[in-house]
Amino acid sequence: MHELFFQKFNAMVPLTGEEEEIMKSYLTPKKIRKKQYLLQEGEVCKYIAFVEKGVLRAYNVSDKGGEHIIQFALEGWIISDLFSFLTGEQATYNIDAIENSELLLISKASHEELLRTLPKYETYTRLQLTGAYIAMQRRLTSIISLTLEERYTYFTSLYPDIVQRVPQHMIASFMGLTPETLSRVRKRLSKK
Amino acid sequence: MSQHNGAGHALLIALHRKQRKMQTKQSIAIVGATGSMGAAISEALAKGPFRLLLHAPKKDKLKTLTQKIRKAFPSAEVEAIDCSFNASWEADIIILAVPYDVEKELALKIKQVANQKIVVSISNPLNHSYDRLVTAPGSSAAEELQKLLPNSKVVKAFNTTFAASFHTPVIDRKRLDAFIAGNDPEAVDTVKKLVETAGFNPVLAGGLDVSSTLEGMQLLLIRLRMRNQDGWEAGWKILHR
Repeated sequence: MHELFFQKFNAMVPLTGEEEEIMKSYLTPKKIRKKQYLLQEGEVCKYIAFVEKGVLRAYNVSDKGGEHIIQFALEGWIISDLFSFLTGEQATYNIDAIENSELLLISKASHEELLRTLPKYETYTRLQLTGAYIAMQRRLTSIISLTLEERYTYFTSLYPDIVQRVPQHMIASFMGLTPETLSRVRKRLSKK
Repeated sequence: MSQHNGAGHALLIALHRKQRKMQTKQSIAIVGATGSMGAAISEALAKGPFRLLLHAPKKDKLKTLTQKIRKAFPSAEVEAIDCSFNASWEADIIILAVPYDVEKELALKIKQVANQKIVVSISNPLNHSYDRLVTAPGSSAAEELQKLLPNSKVVKAFNTTFAASFHTPVIDRKRLDAFIAGNDPEAVDTVKKLVETAGFNPVLAGGLDVSSTLEGMQLLLIRLRMRNQDGWEAGWKILHR
């Protein structure tokens, strides 16, 4: 239930057995089904979610009902509406499950307590945030300066699992494309 | 966050879409759902905006109850779950609608997946002749449960409400009180909403250490009803000017 979480954590910041038990005591195990919401926009985001098994997505919905996917989260990834989580303001993201998933949730209260009492958690949080910032910068750069084919190739080389498990129309949404445009991009790539 | 960021965020919300008043449904596991209290609680909470995960060992009875609830409340989200561990894993709130002598075994079974979750203790720790409490003086079923689940937020609730009173929570035009005790304010507030959904007037009695008083209260009421051979559509009401 916690194997992947501690594998990832220890890879970044090695914990003693005692520290692992402390960390575990703050985690909420939550099973969630395909299409079930973890968060809806307008609510206050109460948790950071670590994906032990499954796939989640964060997205917002336009007035016309179009879904725009901001982020995916596969095994070992973390997902949240961080602004809402940190400030207590309303979330702009919806987060739901693309597959039946097993999560470990860290509540705001747990997060604050861990930051206060477990220094290695603070290091872990810093490394998570800097990693996320670097990923976001890379993504922004790729959107601005790469062709669609180069963006798709870059994305699928980084996350080959995603293409197998996430429907094409969702990948298109994530890339800011229509499904038809993504289909043409994939055709052009397959001819090379 | 700076004022600029807060204002920017508010603009983002306004630009992206209209305000949506959606609320993610809380999932509530009711373990022991086919007992008299479990069924009463399940039927009562089906009225509310919750996703109910019902578990009981007798599958036929559980199926009958689930069907009954769906018929009475067609828009209710209610499901029978085979395993108390899985029901608790999916749940945000776990109600242990079981007798005191089953609570310990159940707590150990679900401990891992009840971590950091709200766990409601409804039990009254009575002996078989219903004339005394079996817990040590100064302790309570709820506090014992909290020791078994140190990282869960145990809340005492529904122990002062008879199953029959769920059908008549208003007697003599007075809404029956239902006492709640717990140490975590947010957990207590959440359980308060469940009590309101069930039709009772929630009374926040204090910390979990008040549970022994609440369990003692119900022992008294049970003894009185049995001695006077009165029915079970009865409950507590604090009257004041």
